[in-house]
Amino acid sequence: MSSSLCMSQSLLRSFLIIIRRNCSGIVVSSSNPSSNYYYDHPFHPRSFVIYQRRNQGDGICRRITAASFSGYNTTAASINCNSTSTSNGNSGDGDDGPRTSGGGGREFLIMSDEKLLSQCEMDFFRVRGPGGQHRNKRESAVRLKHLPTGISGQASEDRSQHKNRASALARLRTKLALKVRNTVNLDAYSPPQELLQILPKKSTIRGSDIGSQIGPNNPKFSLGMQALIDLIFAVEGSIADAAKKLGLSTGALSRLILSDDSLRMVVNEYRESKGMKPLK
Amino acid sequence: MRLGLARRSLSMFPPILTRAYSVQPISRTSISPPPASLKPQTPLFLRPPTHSATISDLLKWQKWAKTLASSVGSHFTHLDDGPDTTLLHRELNWLLQDALENPKLPLSHVGTNEVVKLRAEMEDLYVLWKQRIEERRPFQYVVGCEHWRDLVLSVEEGVLIPRPETELIVDLVGGLVKENEELREGLWADLGTGSGALAIGIARILGPFGSVIATDLSPVAVAVASYNVQRYNLQDKIEIKLGSWFEPLKNVKGQFVGLVSNPPYIPSNHIRGLQAEVAKHEPRLALDGGSNGMDDLLHLCHGASSMLKRGGFFAFETNGEKQCKFLVDYMQKECDGSFCDVDIVSDFAGNKRFVTGFSGP
Repeated sequence: MSSSLCMSQSLLRSFLIIIRRNCSGIVVSSSNPSSNYYYDHPFHPRSFVIYQRRNQGDGICRRITAASFSGYNTTAASINCNSTSTSNGNSGDGDDGPRTSGGGGREFLIMSDEKLLSQCEMDFFRVRGPGGQHRNKRESAVRLKHLPTGISGQASEDRSQHKNRASALARLRTKLALKVRNTVNLDAYSPPQELLQILPKKSTIRGSDIGSQIGPNNPKFSLGMQALIDLIFAVEGSIADAAKKLGLSTGALSRLILSDDSLRMVVNEYRESKGMKPLK
Repeated sequence: MRLGLARRSLSMFPPILTRAYSVQPISRTSISPPPASLKPQTPLFLRPPTHSATISDLLKWQKWAKTLASSVGSHFTHLDDGPDTTLLHRELNWLLQDALENPKLPLSHVGTNEVVKLRAEMEDLYVLWKQRIEERRPFQYVVGCEHWRDLVLSVEEGVLIPRPETELIVDLVGGLVKENEELREGLWADLGTGSGALAIGIARILGPFGSVIATDLSPVAVAVASYNVQRYNLQDKIEIKLGSWFEPLKNVKGQFVGLVSNPPYIPSNHIRGLQAEVAKHEPRLALDGGSNGMDDLLHLCHGASSMLKRGGFFAFETNGEKQCKFLVDYMQKECDGSFCDVDIVSDFAGNKRFVTGFSGP
C-alpha cells in the first residue's frame, strides 16, 4: 500500500528521467584506500560524487552517504544520465581507479543492495543534539535518495532503523523500476528473461523453461515490470501492440497490468498523456 | 477517562512492574547460565498470549491511550527534549503490536464483539501506558525490549537501553573482519556490555573461531546480557563475566584482537538535565562518566594497550567532539606510541562519536 502511495508523486515529471543505453554508460570508479580501514574519510574527495544538498531550512535532517554508514566500502559512483535530477555529478575524471561501464536504468535494479546503497544518500529524521547516551527517542525513519536519478524511497513504520533501511531500499527499487526508462529497439525486440518471468503461462513466447509466473510480491517483479513499462512506452501506450510482442492477448496483458496498482498507475498516466483511455 | 485505574497498584502486575532484587553476593566471575536470583524479565512480545479481550475493549483502550498521548503535545519536548505526541502515538502502535498475539491483525476489520488473544491483561495495558506518559518510563522498559540493528534485545530497569548510534561500532568491526582473518577468528572484548548489544552484534559477524568476552559491573546487566546471548544461541561464542572493565580479563591479557566499549561518558553534573526517560529511569552506573565524563574512557585507554595483541583494534564511544579530540590527543601524547592510526569517526547524525585505532606502532 505504502509503495503505491509513494509513487503517486510526480509520476509524469518522472517520465522525463530516461536513461539511454547508447548515449551514456555508467561509470563506476572506486577509491581503494591503502588501508582496510576506510571509515576515516566518509567524504573522501575522490570517493564520492558531487551533489547538491537540499536546503533544509530548519536543519533537522542530517545525512550521510549510505555506504559509509552501512559498513560497505565507500565506492564512488559517478553516473551520467539524462535526468531531471540536480544531484548527478562527476568525480571520475582523472581518477585512476577501475571503471566498468554498462547499460542504463536496468543496471540499478540488478545491482546488489550494497552497491545500490552506495549510490544513495541517507537521511535520518532526527533532531539535532548531543545524541548517544543523552537521548532516548525512537526516531528511526530512513529516507534513501538515489543520487544518480534523484529518486527516493523512505520508511518509518518500524522501530528499527535497520529494518526501515531495508524497506526503504525495497521501495526505492520499485520506484526506480517505475520511473527510469530504458530505450527499446522495437525492430529486433525480444523480451528479456525477467519480463518473461512475470508473464502468465499462456504467453506463446514464454518457454516452458521459464518457471512459474512471478507475482508483484516477489522482489524480482520490479525488474520484469521495468522491462514491461519500457516496452509499453516504446509502442506509445498501445496495449495491443505490446501484447503482440509478448505473445499475449490484449485482455491478458491488461489483466497483468491491472494486477499491480503502481504498474497500472504508471501505464494509465502515460496513456492519458497520449490522449488514450485508461485501462480499467 | 480514568476507567477505575485508581485501585490498581503497581504490584498487580508483578512480571513487569516489580522485581525481587534479592541480589546475593556473587562470588563467581563467569555467569552462565545466570543465577536464579536474577531472573531476567521476559519481554512482552515473548510472553504467552494467555489473556484475551474483546475488540471493543481494545479499541476503547487505544482511544484512551491516544488521548493521553495527545495531551502531551510538545510539552515534554520543551521541558527536556522528551518525546512529543507524534512519537508517543507511534510507540502506542508498537505497544499494541507487542501485546497482540497476532500483531498483523487489522483491528478495524474485526467485529467489535470478537475476542483477541493478548500477552498482557487489558488492565495492565492501562497501567503500562500511564507509566509511559505520567512517569516517563522509557518505552523500551515498558515493553521490555529494544530493536537494535536486526536484533530484538531484552532490556529492563538497571540496564542501559542500547542506542542507535552504537550500532555503527558493529559496522566498523564488520568492515574490518571481512578483510582480515586474524580479526575475524580472534578474541574480542565488549567492556560494560549492558544488554549485550555490542557483544551479540559482533559475535554474529565473526568467523567460526572468533569469540567475544563481555564484562559488566552490574549483576542485572550480566543476567540480561546472558538472557539475550542465549536467545540468539550464542552461548558458545560469547562469555559474560561480572566485574569492572578489565578486571575479569586478567587471565587473557594481551590476547584480544579487538576491544569495543560504550562506557558511561556523560559529565556528572549533566545527568540531572537529561530527558526524564534517561535521567530518572536508566542506570546512573551506565551514564555517569565522572566530573568531565572521561573517567572511564581514560581507564579504557590505559588498559587497552596491554589487553590488545599487536595490531588489535579498538573502538570507544564518546560524548562527542570534545571528548574525541581529548582522547586522540591523549593517546598520541601520553600513551608513548602504544597506538597507531588513532582516528575519530562520526555517527549517522554527523556528531563526532567514536575514537578508533590499532595497538602497536
